Amino acid sequence: MQHNLKKVLIGILILLILNASLGAGAPSSSGAEAKAGIGNETPKVQGPEFQSKGEISEGILAYMQAVYLGAALRPPDEATLSKAASAYLLQLEKTKGSVLKIATPNTVKSASLFGDYSLGIFAHLSNPPLMKMDANGKLVGQLVDCYEVSENNTRWTFYLKDELYWSDGKKVSPKDAEFTIRYYGKKTPSARWINDTLKSSSFSEAENSVTFKFNKPYTRINLEFATYNLLPAHIWEKIEEPQKYIHEGSYVGCGPYFLKRIELKAGKLVFERNPYWRGPMPAFECVEIHFYSNLDVATLALENGEVDTYYKYASSYPYPNIEQLKKTEKFDFLEKTNVGLIFLGFNLKKAPLSDRAFREALSYALNYEELVALETLGYGEVANRGFVPPSMEYYKETEKLKYNPAKARELMKKAGYEDRNENGILENKEGDDLRLTLLVRQDSARTAELLSEYLEEIGLEIEVKNVDQDTWFTLKDDYKYDLTVTRSTPWGMLMHASWGSGYFDSRRSGKGVLHTLEDPAFLQLCDELLATTDSAELEKSAHALQAYYAENLPAIPLYWNRVVTPFNRDFEGWAADPLYGIYNLETFVEVRKK
Amino acid sequence: MISTAVKKTFRYLSSFALIVSLNFALPRLMPGDPVKNLIGEDVYVSDLVIEELRAELGLNRPLLEQFLAYIQALLRFDLGYSYHLHSPVAEVLQERIGWTLLFVGVSVGLGAGLGVFLGAYAGWKPETKLSRGLSCGFILLSCTPPYFLALLFLGIFAFKLGLFPFKGFYDTLTLGSIASHLFLPVSVLALFSASRNFLILRGSVIQEKEELYALYARAKGLYEREILFRHVVKNASLPIITLLALDFGFLFSGALFIEIVFSLNGMGTLIYDAIIGKDYPVLQGAFLLIALAVLIANILADFLYAVVDPRVRRPA
Repeated sequence: MQHNLKKVLIGILILLILNASLGAGAPSSSGAEAKAGIGNETPKVQGPEFQSKGEISEGILAYMQAVYLGAALRPPDEATLSKAASAYLLQLEKTKGSVLKIATPNTVKSASLFGDYSLGIFAHLSNPPLMKMDANGKLVGQLVDCYEVSENNTRWTFYLKDELYWSDGKKVSPKDAEFTIRYYGKKTPSARWINDTLKSSSFSEAENSVTFKFNKPYTRINLEFATYNLLPAHIWEKIEEPQKYIHEGSYVGCGPYFLKRIELKAGKLVFERNPYWRGPMPAFECVEIHFYSNLDVATLALENGEVDTYYKYASSYPYPNIEQLKKTEKFDFLEKTNVGLIFLGFNLKKAPLSDRAFREALSYALNYEELVALETLGYGEVANRGFVPPSMEYYKETEKLKYNPAKARELMKKAGYEDRNENGILENKEGDDLRLTLLVRQDSARTAELLSEYLEEIGLEIEVKNVDQDTWFTLKDDYKYDLTVTRSTPWGMLMHASWGSGYFDSRRSGKGVLHTLEDPAFLQLCDELLATTDSAELEKSAHALQAYYAENLPAIPLYWNRVVTPFNRDFEGWAADPLYGIYNLETFVEVRKK
Repeated sequence: MISTAVKKTFRYLSSFALIVSLNFALPRLMPGDPVKNLIGEDVYVSDLVIEELRAELGLNRPLLEQFLAYIQALLRFDLGYSYHLHSPVAEVLQERIGWTLLFVGVSVGLGAGLGVFLGAYAGWKPETKLSRGLSCGFILLSCTPPYFLALLFLGIFAFKLGLFPFKGFYDTLTLGSIASHLFLPVSVLALFSASRNFLILRGSVIQEKEELYALYARAKGLYEREILFRHVVKNASLPIITLLALDFGFLFSGALFIEIVFSLNGMGTLIYDAIIGKDYPVLQGAFLLIALAVLIANILADFLYAVVDPRVRRPA
């Protein structure tokens, strides 16, 4: 009797401590949570290795069920349980008030989760997408344990992880996943393809899975689903026009943190630890994203310790500012080869750039080493002819681009482009001087100067047309240029049939794409890539595509640069993926003070 | 007198009509497509979706029809809906103007006060060391690019000395937090405004103090300070009134460079982002507001001229 009373008291004490420590915002365990604990044959209870409130509460419940209800479970012993609880509470107490601060130039301009591009990216922390890209560029489940696709690539089934909870205490259900995808399809123009091609969808509570059936084969759904933030159906189904839904917080999320406040006037986003998160406990109570419109000011803020790291989607920390941070000896740098790149695009619909031999000759005219030195300040390397950077999955090693102006002139001559009238300018096959238009946006003006110098050295006359962004789009779409300098983002490299194909396929249109390549061999390769989810076939086709690039040079990568992220030396555990850099769940769960 | 008032009213009304038409035309004359801007660079959408969006925003209609719809909406005091900020333009402007007026308004006010006071002194006693020092200082300030000065202030007072925060209007919505956040941007802007006012008033006072009325006042035995502030400054301040009327537009258009350096969400960045994003309704609304502010300021300036200088009231 006395022994039983002791057990009851210990159980109640632990529950009370837990409840009190997690504050008023954390309601007591719901029925759903309890059920999750009962369902496990051997609860995950390993003494001091408890890492989240969820795991401990599951352990306590199992313990109490075994003791009082006689459930056939193997409960943890009292000592382990109380030790684990106190370790958890100690950790919680230790991290109270701790904030991880990130500086970013990706300013959020509107408190619309659906309408603001930057906010949509930052919300990956609170509302992570189903899939993610791992450090090696491989697509893996983030909120799902696994997924399967039918043989004809029309039916995709995703099996959700069991331990996911929204920050309001409700369990993440497959209905949420189904709702999210359908909702995006209906409500956002960029995801309209879902609405147009999704034939049916269903979910199974028993299997914790959701199935999408499309009216045509889709092979890149796993990639697409790495971008759509998971939404709680019970909240968003009441919102008819999500883009017009302006709300400064808080937003219910299921990640390690949830979005607590959007403070546009203070220039920051505040994320708070999700009390129902059951993964490893993040080391910080809050994560704050601070917007800086000026990069020099962001550098000063980093130096001063106002912020701990820097993040900009698809971009590196500015290379010229790195030295300044290095001098402080307070920062370490995470370097990763960028999936996106800067490249010289050609108007393949017009001579002479439609001539493969001309492009081949031109490729030897560019001083790649100098470009790497001047443009990346050494944080880059000379690219290969195969265009695709090594950080992409199924990268194929191809020949490195070489600078050899003598060979360029020789190849030009061989291809029929020579200076017959000796006026210093090469003539085309019809005998006219080769005057080429290099179309660039303002941010590439310096690169254009270098390129025109290199090309003039081999006898081409270059007219640099420096225009604003919108004029660039118009002239590019009207094919009113010969050469252009542009950049691809990581997503841009992955879109369409991936490996940069989206920039060249003539069947596509869009703001940033060149749509100049109509070679049936290339289109066939794209179609092959779009028709398979088999990794062996994907690898084969991806390699063939890179070989095609190396052979035909539809564009020349000017360099492969590295994404450099500075972070405060007092912290450790940073992780970067090729798609979103350091802004991933691994970082936010693993990063802690040394 | 009445005919002058009618003429002026007609002049202002026709200016307003012209402004409204230009507000509609100018954004549309810029290169670029607002719909493509809205979709983003790496996103592929079908032509059908683009056309649907265009129809939704009313951009598929003929220009004349769009113009008439714009005028009709204006008559209902409806400034439209922002493509990018997903809110009614009136609400967006209201929110931004409050903060912009706070930091630019205070700066212009301080700049006017400081510039007039010190400029009057420097003009009245140009030979003193203090006057020369002030003149050199303000000439130097007026020649410094605002962007550079803002960074310099930030580097010294926020970074080196750690006295002020780096960015934003506040951390917590309290008077103290707002004051500490706005101290540096207001100081920089106020110094710029003061430098212009100082140089103009100094020159004006030097000219006016040689006039006979100043000599007469001195002969009457008035104190120097009274001659300066009761008589000379009054006459010398006409160019300052013109400058302040012009600055009124600046009040509403914000100070883009200062907003960028101090990461402030003011009217400057709103207009800049709207230009980049081809957000026609925001541009129309913001330009209309600035134009109205300048018109009203000009009306006020006309009125103030008459108050300050009786010669303006006198019929020709």
